[in-house]
Amino acid sequence: MAIRHILDEEHLRIRLMLVLMLLAFGVLIAALWRMQVSHGKAYQRDLTRQSVRRVRLPGMRGRIFDRNKVCVADNRPSYCVAIYLEELRQPGRWVRTINKVDELIDEMSKVLGVPRQVTTEDIRTHIRKRLPLPLLAWRDVDERSMARLSELASGTPGVDVYIEAVREYPEASSACHVLGYVGRADPPDDEAEPYHYYLPEMAGRSGIEKAFDGVLRGEPGGRLVRVDVSGFRHDDLASREPKNGRDVVLTLDMNIQKAVERAMGDVRGAAVVIDPSNGDVLAMVSLPGFDPNLFVPAIPADVWKTLIENNEKPLLNRAVAGAYAPGSTFKAVVAMAALENHKATPQTTFNCPGYFMLGNARFQCWYHPGHGTLTMQQALEHSCNVYFFRLGLQSGYDAIYHTAAALGLGQKTDIALDYEASGLLPDDAWKRRVYRDGWRDGDTCNLSIGQGALTVTPLQLALVTATLANGGHLYKPRIVQGIRDNDKDSFRPIPPQIVNEMNWSPTSVRTVREGMRDVVMSPRGTGRLAAIPGVEFAGKTGTAEYGVKGSGKKYGWMIAFAPYDNPRYAVVLLVEEAVTGGTTAAPKMKQVMSAIFHPTDAAGGQG
Amino acid sequence: MNLDALQHVLKRMDWWMVLSIIALLLVGTAFIFSASYRSDGTAMADFYQKQIVWAVIGLGLFLVFAFIDYRRLRDAAWWLYALGIILLVLVLLFGKKVYGAYRWLNLFGVQIQPSEFGKLATLVLLARFLGRPGRDVREPKCVVQTLLLMGVPFVLILKEPDLGSASMLLPLAFIMMYAAGVPLKYLGILVLIGVLLMPVGWFGLGDYQKERILVFFDPGRDPLGSGWNKIQSEIAVGSGGFSGKGYLKGTQNVLGFLPRTVAPTDFIYSVIAEEVGFVGSVMLLALYAMLLSTGIRAALAARDKLGRLLAAGVTGLVFCHVFVNIAMTIGLLPITGLPLPLISYGGSFMVSTMMGLGIVQSVYVRRYQQ
Repeated sequence: MAIRHILDEEHLRIRLMLVLMLLAFGVLIAALWRMQVSHGKAYQRDLTRQSVRRVRLPGMRGRIFDRNKVCVADNRPSYCVAIYLEELRQPGRWVRTINKVDELIDEMSKVLGVPRQVTTEDIRTHIRKRLPLPLLAWRDVDERSMARLSELASGTPGVDVYIEAVREYPEASSACHVLGYVGRADPPDDEAEPYHYYLPEMAGRSGIEKAFDGVLRGEPGGRLVRVDVSGFRHDDLASREPKNGRDVVLTLDMNIQKAVERAMGDVRGAAVVIDPSNGDVLAMVSLPGFDPNLFVPAIPADVWKTLIENNEKPLLNRAVAGAYAPGSTFKAVVAMAALENHKATPQTTFNCPGYFMLGNARFQCWYHPGHGTLTMQQALEHSCNVYFFRLGLQSGYDAIYHTAAALGLGQKTDIALDYEASGLLPDDAWKRRVYRDGWRDGDTCNLSIGQGALTVTPLQLALVTATLANGGHLYKPRIVQGIRDNDKDSFRPIPPQIVNEMNWSPTSVRTVREGMRDVVMSPRGTGRLAAIPGVEFAGKTGTAEYGVKGSGKKYGWMIAFAPYDNPRYAVVLLVEEAVTGGTTAAPKMKQVMSAIFHPTDAAGGQG
Repeated sequence: MNLDALQHVLKRMDWWMVLSIIALLLVGTAFIFSASYRSDGTAMADFYQKQIVWAVIGLGLFLVFAFIDYRRLRDAAWWLYALGIILLVLVLLFGKKVYGAYRWLNLFGVQIQPSEFGKLATLVLLARFLGRPGRDVREPKCVVQTLLLMGVPFVLILKEPDLGSASMLLPLAFIMMYAAGVPLKYLGILVLIGVLLMPVGWFGLGDYQKERILVFFDPGRDPLGSGWNKIQSEIAVGSGGFSGKGYLKGTQNVLGFLPRTVAPTDFIYSVIAEEVGFVGSVMLLALYAMLLSTGIRAALAARDKLGRLLAAGVTGLVFCHVFVNIAMTIGLLPITGLPLPLISYGGSFMVSTMMGLGIVQSVYVRRYQQ
């Protein structure tokens, strides 16, 4: 009896389950009736009237300033012609829609008198990959075409004007290697959320633009815009505001930068100016350069080809990516190594008969008649090779190697720029690996005058110069002073950083500095052509042969720091095809120093 | 195992159920084609062909399970449950990540979703547990034990995370307790506890899950992001009107307003509703009603409690999927990502649904047997 009862109840429950399920379906049917029949017309109106356009609002890219708040990378509006494919859709196969768009672009090209920028293949790719996004048929259209287009667009469904911010470099090619350039970032091909706005379209491709891309890039916003059949905006459904990128403040001083560029003229080479008191890079020049505006809004293929196929490599930042034999500029390091390792004193003298015999090998001084007997200070002034051969041999390779390594040679400085070269500070292990031969005295002789396998980047040499100038504090080169966030009105500084304390004795520093002062200030110094009135400063010239021996190809160097007593500028100039450092680089140094210390004279005088 | 036995099974099968299943499979394939035929060149273009293969495999499994005596499941229940748990653990350890969740497991080259199998295994075990002769379902202990058995796979699926699949286990356990005769008083208390726990559950949800629920209450909240599917799905359904735009004439999915990645799967109903309108939508619901009715008929005809619970459980589970899927498509429930049985694209769910319906048939076929 009880079992019967329980069974009945369970059956009842299951029947009730069916009733409840059917009731739930009834609710669904009621909701469907409401949506599809009662409000169906409204939804249909929505559908026909709404071509929902997703207008992307890219976050404004942050700007780049020099240390004096001069804007060196800015944004300007660029007008584009956008084609909204939703409105040109044709029933049936995609080919018909593609043809329709193709015809439209042809027609507009005729009316506007501007050549097509997209091919049929581009349209096909766009439809396949980015259908929900507008096709930009023309980018960066000039204002005259823009005026004609606005008339045309208002009567043509599916066509609209689209304004985007593009990069502008007001100083053109000035400091181009530091700033770098931007490229168009493709919208991410993200199948998971293809109907979102896409991410910023400018991406840093080199230089600071690349290294600080994450800082400079804003966060994009988006807007849903409903438009009616004739193409007029109906209403905005919603929007998400973009966030602007943050600004980067460089350590560069554009006055000095441009002065150095003027002084260098049209030679192939590089130059770096550093503040010895904190490692700030005040100028960084590499020649030949390029105009980063060429990359905006997108670099034409043929221009890109000429840039990368050019033998002079204009895209290469020689100041950090080029490694060169330092030549006689390295003698200052050798002198310091000898003094600090107690292998010589300031009074150590050697005689120069014009050549030096090492066994049977004859090493030539650049001054064939010979310098006679010289002290260290005089040897620096005259840049006597024989003195330094003998000083180098007396000090030993180890002393030179360790001093040079402590000064950062052979290692990257980790400046925030691309393709930094480490240079080469050769040692015994290196020679065994490459030449299958041990280190010999002849190698030490070559090293002592900055020749042989030794290479440095102009930036490294500038840091060495700055360290000689400030008496032994090796700074990390600082190219960015800090990041400014305009939304929060805050500035986050990036502090200077000391890499190494040399702990040089004052006597050693004084000797080398005095030798370097004589290079410029003495009437017989090798760098005398760099001297300017009214400012006492120090320097060292260098000439290094390269290429096939005897081909006559020479790098001309000059390093300098000024003023002598309280140096604020450490300068390195390199000319790739020079006669000598003293004749080719020194006059350019004079121009740089004049521009820095006598800015009014230099503007007219040296051009 | 012989021809006679097979004939016997076929003769006693509920052909109304078979009819509704085949009709739903045909509808599904046709509209998966409609949802994806314009995606030339993408992986989606041949979804409908794959779906046909899955449908055939599903029908085969349906017959196999109808043929097997459901009472054998009594002995296999714990093993199936253990296997389900192991698969769910494996997917957390070695699963393939798709859109941020570990739901797929690669078994011998075939991608399977262990959560689908886990749901069915839990169902079978609950039927055995609650339907065991001598079990006193009036004891509160029984309710607690049922919840524990359901809780293990629930937590594992939630971890993937797959909120949609996991949440199906709650009504499943509820329906089975209801069908087993657990006093309504306890069931009422459970509902109450559930409501009270909701705020706690909220904090356990991932950000995107919260976002979907917030969007449900305020679709304008993020129309470019998570609100997008909801808005576009509703426009698709609504614009279908009374009689629809006609097969292959829907524009919402063709023009890409309804994302092509979800159109053949979780949002297939909005594709259907747009093309066949109110009339067709109701006819589709009628097909489901027919399927569910045959399931209830099997439950009523079952010769023992195990059979009754199996049939009621499978029917209830299918119902929950249908209801929640359609309700979210038309904006009555938050979007949780749940397929429409027998219609949405996808192999694992097809297979598990057909196995479940096969079990229901097995119950029905043996209705008067000794």
